Amino acid sequence: MIEINEVTKRFQDKKKYVTALKHVSFTVEEGEVVGLLGENGAGKTTLLRAIATLLHPTDGTIKVAGYDTVKQPNDIKKKIGVLFGGETGLYDRLTARENLEYFASLYNLSKHETKVRIDELTKMFGMRDYLDRKVDGFSKGMRQKLAISRTLIHEPDIILFDEPTTGLDITAANVFRQLVHQLKQQGKTIIFSSHIMEEVQMLCDSVAMIHKGELIYHGNIEKLYEEENNEDLNYIFMSKLVRGGSDYVS
Amino acid sequence: MFLKMFFKEMKDSFRDRRTLLLTVVLPLIMMTALVFYYESLLSDDEQTYNLAVEKGTSEEILSIFSTENFNFVETDDPEFAIEEGEAHTGILFDDQFTEKVETHQQATVKVISGDSFSQNASNANAQVMAALQQYEQAIVNERLTNENIDQQLMTPFQIEQEEITDDNAGMALLGTLIPLILVLAIGIGASPSASDLFAGEKEKKTMEALLMTPVKRSTMIMSKWLTISAIGSITGIVTLIVVALEIQFMTENLKDAVASTENIGLIIGIVAGITIIYATFLASILMVTSIMAKTIKESQSYSTPVMMLGMFPIMILTSVGTSELEFHHFVIPILNIFSSLKELLVGVIDWEHIFITVGSNLIAMIIIFIIGRIMFLKDKWVMN
Ligand SMILES: Nc1ncnc2c1ncn2[C@@H]1O[C@H](COP(=O)(O)OP(=O)(O)O)[C@@H](O)[C@H]1O
Ligand SMILES: [Mg+2]
Repeated sequence: MIEINEVTKRFQDKKKYVTALKHVSFTVEEGEVVGLLGENGAGKTTLLRAIATLLHPTDGTIKVAGYDTVKQPNDIKKKIGVLFGGETGLYDRLTARENLEYFASLYNLSKHETKVRIDELTKMFGMRDYLDRKVDGFSKGMRQKLAISRTLIHEPDIILFDEPTTGLDITAANVFRQLVHQLKQQGKTIIFSSHIMEEVQMLCDSVAMIHKGELIYHGNIEKLYEEENNEDLNYIFMSKLVRGGSDYVS
Repeated sequence: MFLKMFFKEMKDSFRDRRTLLLTVVLPLIMMTALVFYYESLLSDDEQTYNLAVEKGTSEEILSIFSTENFNFVETDDPEFAIEEGEAHTGILFDDQFTEKVETHQQATVKVISGDSFSQNASNANAQVMAALQQYEQAIVNERLTNENIDQQLMTPFQIEQEEITDDNAGMALLGTLIPLILVLAIGIGASPSASDLFAGEKEKKTMEALLMTPVKRSTMIMSKWLTISAIGSITGIVTLIVVALEIQFMTENLKDAVASTENIGLIIGIVAGITIIYATFLASILMVTSIMAKTIKESQSYSTPVMMLGMFPIMILTSVGTSELEFHHFVIPILNIFSSLKELLVGVIDWEHIFITVGSNLIAMIIIFIIGRIMFLKDKWVMN
């Protein structure tokens, strides 16, 4: 479903080059839930943006559902939903419904489709009470539900979440976790980045660990536990860094 | 798609109380204040000035100023009274002023000028001087008569002054006032949406959500630019309507001045057209400053100096009379808005000047828009 092949991404920041991704390769199967683990600045957001067609790799290719991210971004955009941050990407001065209607229209949904979809999402997230209120006064939890609804408005098969629970309280974070369960049951392919090991442990089929732009592990989470003879992802992550040599440890 | 974006962005902008306030209320207040200020300048009611005099100055001496509109402020220390702002100007007479004058001795009188930056103080000063000269002339005439000398001996010629543009003073005043407020109002009105629509969307990450939709980036930038232009134009037109209504219903001198201008309808039409062209030009500039910025705050810190720059032409043009306007005044964007409006508002329709103004603004607007578009197609400027 998603094939990441030798992807390198270099940024030019003033006169300095920053290599955010170094020869990253792995594949994600249909219906798989992948946790993208890494410290701040590891390259998680950059990788998700590249998958989402928003950034072009300096080197290497990414294919999503058979389409190339650089050559066929529009085919991919229809199939993919992305949420950067947990509760962002909303227009505060519009109501919840207006936000959803606006994005539905940008995805070319018909009036009828939009109405049906908004009804579904409202039910799914229990947003009935505040659907026609301006987002301005929403709590973080309400915003998060709406932001996720916006991401799902066009029924994407693939969903990317970048640090979805960072900055959210426990209840809101739990809403997200339940949702991932639900989406997984619907057969969606999901990649989400996080630095919360427990969350990844709880939700994912497999993990991809990035450190300073390099993929240090990718594989099934159960297999990883077996290999490492340990079920503490935090511990595994740290020991991988140590074993990777002084280069890995910051 | 384009229209959907445009309508949503207009709706979003106008739900922002700042935009509403800045596009309607602010021009209303600024215009009202200025219209009344200029109306009062034009009106014949004479202002009264406070004149500080020493306590005990005789009635006879003070009668020198009786024809002028002076309030006398009697005080021990006229200089102090002026410094304290109790008087606009002050005057100190010789102890035996009257006696000295009567006995043909030279008397002295000291005029103390107030704040030289104050229009009131310098007007007061001029009137004091005029009154003293008149009084001096009267004494001289009296003495000449006493000596049996013809008064005309002392006045070989009379000076008559006539200002050729005096009839149009009202419109000339408007010609400096309207462009200033218009340029200010359009800038202030359009800048919140400008910083919202690019920097703001980056900051709130709605930009990434937009970029994930199948909408083309060129469609996005067009719709955003059109929104900023439309809000700028609305502000400009509201401002013009406010001036027009206020002049019509609330002033007399300005209203007469406007009514006596030929082709006033056509002039108002052209002014509105130029206003819209200017709004689109400014929209391009504000758009670029917003694309450059990562946050709304940063965008405002770029756009504020740009708007300040828009005030420069005022300084250049205040010393240039309408008939002295030259080619270059109409070629340089922003400056040419001031030049054209100044010319139009004294009733001159010079099509060549108008076309040069419109053309140069359009060209500048297109070039800046293209720069903005190139930036917007680069990831660096679209995502933080
Ligand atoms: N647009 C950009 N320009 C320059 N450097 C960037 C840009 N985006 C990310 N980087 C750099 O790339 C590295 C990876 O960043 P990012 O992918 O945001 O990490 P993460 O999401 O894992 O915290 C960081 O060193 C960051 O400074
Ligand atoms: Mg990140």
